[in-house]
Amino acid sequence: MKKHSLIIIAFLFSIHGFAQDAKTILDKVDRNMSSKNRIVESSMTIHGKRSSRTLTSKTWSEGFEKSFSQYLSPAADKGTKMLKLEGQLWIYSPSTDRIIQISGHLLRQSVMGSDLSYEDMMEDRKLNDVYNAKVIREEKLNDRNTFLMQLTAKVENIAYYSQKIWIDTERFIPLQQELYAKSGQLLKRTELKDVKQIQGRWFPTTIVYKDMLKQGNGTEFRMNSILFDQKIPEYIFSKAALKQ
Amino acid sequence: MIKFLFKGILNDKSRSLLPAIVVGLGVALTVLLHGWITGALGDSIEMNASFNSGHVKVMSRAYARDDAQMPNDLALLGADPLVSKLKNDYPDLDWVRRIRFSGLIDFPDEKGETRAQGPVIGWAIDLFSPGSTEIVRFKLQGAILNGKLPSKPGEALITSDFASKFKVKPGDSFTLFGTTMDGGMAFRNFIVAGTVRFGSSVVDRGAVIADITDIRKALGMEDAAGEIPGYFKDGGYNDTKATALMNDFNKKYQADKDEYAPEMIRLRDQGGMAEYLDIANAMGAIMVFVFVMAMSIVLWNAGLLGGLRRYSEFGIRLALGEEKKHIYRTLLYEGLLIGTIGSVVGTLVGLSASYYLQVVGLDMGDMMQRSTLMMPTLVRTRITPAAFYIGFIPGVFSMVLGNALAGIAIYKRNTAQLFKELEV
Amino acid sequence: MLAFKLAFKNLIGAGLRTWLNVSVLSFAFVVIVFYNGMLDGWNRQGRSDTVAWETGNGQYWHPLYDRYDPFSLQDAHATVTGEAAKLVKENQLLPMLITQATAYPQGRLLNVMLKGIDPNQEILSIPSASLKPQNGEIPALIGKRMAESAHLKKGDHVLVRWRDVNGTFDAREVQVVDIFKSNVPTVDVSQVYIPLSILQEMTGMKDEATLLVASATLSSTQIKGWTFKDTKFLLKDFDEMINAKKGGSRILYLLLLTLALLAIFDTQVLSVFRRQKEIGTYIALGMTRLQVIRLFTVEGSMHSLLALILGSLYGIPLMLFINKYGIPMPKSADQAGVAISERIFPFYSLGMLVSTILLVVISATIVSYFPTRRISKMRPTDALKGKMQ
Repeated sequence: MKKHSLIIIAFLFSIHGFAQDAKTILDKVDRNMSSKNRIVESSMTIHGKRSSRTLTSKTWSEGFEKSFSQYLSPAADKGTKMLKLEGQLWIYSPSTDRIIQISGHLLRQSVMGSDLSYEDMMEDRKLNDVYNAKVIREEKLNDRNTFLMQLTAKVENIAYYSQKIWIDTERFIPLQQELYAKSGQLLKRTELKDVKQIQGRWFPTTIVYKDMLKQGNGTEFRMNSILFDQKIPEYIFSKAALKQ
Repeated sequence: MIKFLFKGILNDKSRSLLPAIVVGLGVALTVLLHGWITGALGDSIEMNASFNSGHVKVMSRAYARDDAQMPNDLALLGADPLVSKLKNDYPDLDWVRRIRFSGLIDFPDEKGETRAQGPVIGWAIDLFSPGSTEIVRFKLQGAILNGKLPSKPGEALITSDFASKFKVKPGDSFTLFGTTMDGGMAFRNFIVAGTVRFGSSVVDRGAVIADITDIRKALGMEDAAGEIPGYFKDGGYNDTKATALMNDFNKKYQADKDEYAPEMIRLRDQGGMAEYLDIANAMGAIMVFVFVMAMSIVLWNAGLLGGLRRYSEFGIRLALGEEKKHIYRTLLYEGLLIGTIGSVVGTLVGLSASYYLQVVGLDMGDMMQRSTLMMPTLVRTRITPAAFYIGFIPGVFSMVLGNALAGIAIYKRNTAQLFKELEV
Repeated sequence: MLAFKLAFKNLIGAGLRTWLNVSVLSFAFVVIVFYNGMLDGWNRQGRSDTVAWETGNGQYWHPLYDRYDPFSLQDAHATVTGEAAKLVKENQLLPMLITQATAYPQGRLLNVMLKGIDPNQEILSIPSASLKPQNGEIPALIGKRMAESAHLKKGDHVLVRWRDVNGTFDAREVQVVDIFKSNVPTVDVSQVYIPLSILQEMTGMKDEATLLVASATLSSTQIKGWTFKDTKFLLKDFDEMINAKKGGSRILYLLLLTLALLAIFDTQVLSVFRRQKEIGTYIALGMTRLQVIRLFTVEGSMHSLLALILGSLYGIPLMLFINKYGIPMPKSADQAGVAISERIFPFYSLGMLVSTILLVVISATIVSYFPTRRISKMRPTDALKGKMQ
C-alpha cells in the first residue's frame, strides 16, 4: 500500500511540462522531487466507514519502475511484501508463503479498501510523457502561492484523462492534485501536506488520497523518515527477496 | 361386543382385509401426498432459506441495507455472544453463523507462484462442529462430484466448473486472496477436499465453501459474522412464529441507534418472498383439499363395497332372528373398526414413507436432466402436524359413511328378499 | 359391441358406486390436464418473453464474450463489419455493446451493465424508442427491478462511471427517461440501457458491439468473427427449470391417479366376487371365459370414459375461465432468474390431451383387468351356484 503511495508520489513528482512556462515549472518540480533512489518508512491510515486502521511499512524504490515494500505493522500484515518490477506486481504473504501476482482486472480493484487502486500505484510513466500541461493561473492554497496547472492526456492508455495540479511557486513541489474523468467529472483528489526540508530538498511528508465518488474520509499517507540516494542492493528488486 | 366384532374382522378376511387395505392405501397415499406437496411447494422457499435468507436472519442494520453486496466491513461484531444469546432466548431455532464473501482464488505452480487465478464468491459455514446442521442444509453430501467433504481445518470445497477450468483436483492447494473486514489484504491457504456442483451456472463457475473458523481467520473476522440465520428446528418456515420472534427481538434493540446494532428480518421480508409464501400456501391447500376429497370418495365407495359384500350374511343373520337395528349398528361399528385400523396403518405407512423421503429425499435426477440451485433434484417431503390427521379423519369417516349407506339396504328390503339374495 | 353395451348398462346400473369412482377419476384427469397445461403455458410464455426481450432468435457473440463473466466484457467487443454490418442495416441483426460500469445513486455504489441499444430497433421488446437524447443529456432506460433496488424514478439523474476502450475513466450523469416492466429479470436487474451510438462514442468503440441479436426472420448463418448461440443454448436455464417442475408435478398426479385406480380396483374385485352367478350364467350361455373377462375389463375401464366425459363437463368451463383471467404468479419467482409472467395462461396442447387420455384409459383398463383374471380359474358350475372359490 505504502508502495503505491510512493509510486504516486513519484508520479506526481515527475512532472514535466510542455508549454514553456509549464515545462519550466515541472522541470523544477522534477528536480526537487526525484532522486536516484530512496528508502522511506511510512504509515498509512485508511479511514473506513466504520473504523480506521494504520499500517506501517518500509519501502525501497529506484526511479519509478522498481519498488519493494515490506509491511511492519499491524501484526496481521507484518511481513507482507510487495514487489513492482517491469510493470508487474507481486504480493508475498508470510502466512501462506505464497507469491501472488496481481494482474488483469484485479489491478482495477481498490487496494485494501483504500482510495487507491492497484492500477493507481502501478502508473510509472512521467507526467510529461503522458500529459500536455499548461499553467492556468496563480492561486493561493493554504496560505501558499501556487501555480494551478491543467494537464490533459496526450496518450490514450491512461486512467485519468485530465488533472489539475497546484504547485508551490516558491518551493516547486505539488500541494494538491485532482484527477478527472473524460467528461470533466472529478474522480479523485490528493492533498500533499507537511512540507519539510530533507537532505536539502523540500518534500511533502503527508499525502491524503480521496476517492470523490466514495463515501468516507480518504486515505492518509505519512512518511516518517526518508533517505535519498542510498546504496540499495540490486537483489532487493527481485522475486527472491519476497520470500526472505 | 367390540371384541367380538374384532374377532370377526380378524377371522373373516373377505370382509376385512380388502377394505382395510383399501383404506390403508388411500390414507397412506393422502399422507404421502400431503407431505410431498408441503415439501415440494416449500422447497424453493426452503432452498432460499437454506442458502440465503434463513427462516429469520440477524444482520447489522448497515449490512442489511446492502446485503446483496456482501459488505463484510459492516458485519456484526460480537457474533458469538449474540448467537449464544439467541440460542438461549429462542431455543426453538437453530442459529448459525455465516460469512458470505468474494475474493480471488490463486493456484500455485511448483515454485509457489501464481499458475492461474479466478474470482470466486464464497460461503463460510460451520462444517466441523459436532452436530452442525449446515452440511445438510447446503446439501453438500449430494453435491460432491469428486473428493469428499472437508474434514479438518484448512480444507475447502470448490465448484466443479471452476475446478475443471483451472485443472484442479481434490488434494491440490490454493490461496484465497480477499479483503479483510477492515479492508486489509486477506490470504489463506486451503486444500481442495472436494469439488461440488449445485447446478446453478453462476455459482458453479466460481464458488468456494469453507469452514467459518478458517474464513474468520482469513478475513480478520474473529467473533464477527456477516449473517446469523435461524432455522425452526421443527420443520419449515412458520410466518406467525417468525413475525412474533422478529418483533420481540427487534424491540430489544429499539433504543439502540447504532447502525451496526443487530436487526432481525423474516424470510417473508426478503426479495418478494411474501407473495410466494401466500401463493404456495394457497396452492398447497387447494391440492390437499382436492386429494382429501378424492380419497374420501374412494373410501366412501370402499365402505359401500364392503357393505355390499355382506348382504348375504345379513340375510342369514336376519333369518336367525337378529334385529335390523342391531345388524346395522354392528355394521357401523365394523366400519369404524376397519376404518380405524386401515387409517392407523395407512397413516403409519404414509408417515414412514414421508419420513423416509424427508430424510433421504427422492432423487428426481432422472426426471430432470439437471438441477439448479433453486430447483433441487432431490425433492423431499415434509411432515407437518397436519399429516397425522389429514388422512386419518377422512379415512375413518368415509369408511363409516360408506358402510352406513350400504347398510340402508338392510332396512329397505325385507328379510325374505335379503335372504333370497343370498341363496346359499 | 355387445360387451360394450352390456358393460355400460352394468356400470350405470351400479349407480352411486360408479359415479363415485368416476368422479375421483375425473378429478385426476382434470388435475393432470390442468397442471400440465399450466406448465406448458408457463413454458411457452416464459420462452417467448425471453426470446422477445433478451435472446431474440439466437445471438452472435463476440468469441470472448461470456455472459456470466463481467470481466470478459473488457475484451469482448469488435467492429461490426462485412456481412454482419449488412444484416444490421437490413434490421436482421441488432448490435448491442455492453460495458461494465458503476452507478452512484444517492452516494451508494452499484455495479451495473451499461448496454448500448439502437433506439430505433424493433428486434427486442425493450422500449428503446424512449431513448431519445434531449437537452444534451444521456437518456437511460432501466427496468422496474433495477429502479426499485437503486431507488430511481423517471426523470432522476444518476452518476455513472465507466472506462473507455483504453481504460480511461469517464463519468457522466444519465437521466432515467423511462422505466420498463419485463417478465424477464435478466434484462432488468443491474442493467442500464443507453443509445448504442452514445455508448460507442463514450467508450471509444465506434461501430463496435459485444453481441448481435438475431431477428425472428433471420435464419441462422455463420458470420465470420462471431459465434452463434442458438435459442436452446440461451434458454438452457429456463428449460431446466421447467423440466424440474414437470418432474415434481408428475409425482403429484401419479399419486392422485393411483388413488383413483385403487377405487376401480376395489370395485372390480367386488364385482368378480359378488357376481359369480352372473359370470356362471354368461359362461353357461356360451360365452368363453375370455369374453367374460373382456366384459368385466371393459366395464372397469369404462369408468375412465365416463370420467373423461364428466371431467370435460366441469373441467372445460373451469379451464376456459382460468384461461380468460390467467393464474397470478408470485413476483419472487423471478429470483431464479428465469422469466415468469405475473399471470400464467395455461396452454393445452393436443399431444398433452391425447397422452393424458391414453394414460387414464390404459391405466384404468389395466387395473380393471387384474381382478378379472380370477374368472379364468372359475368352474362355471360352481360359479353358477355362487359358490365361493
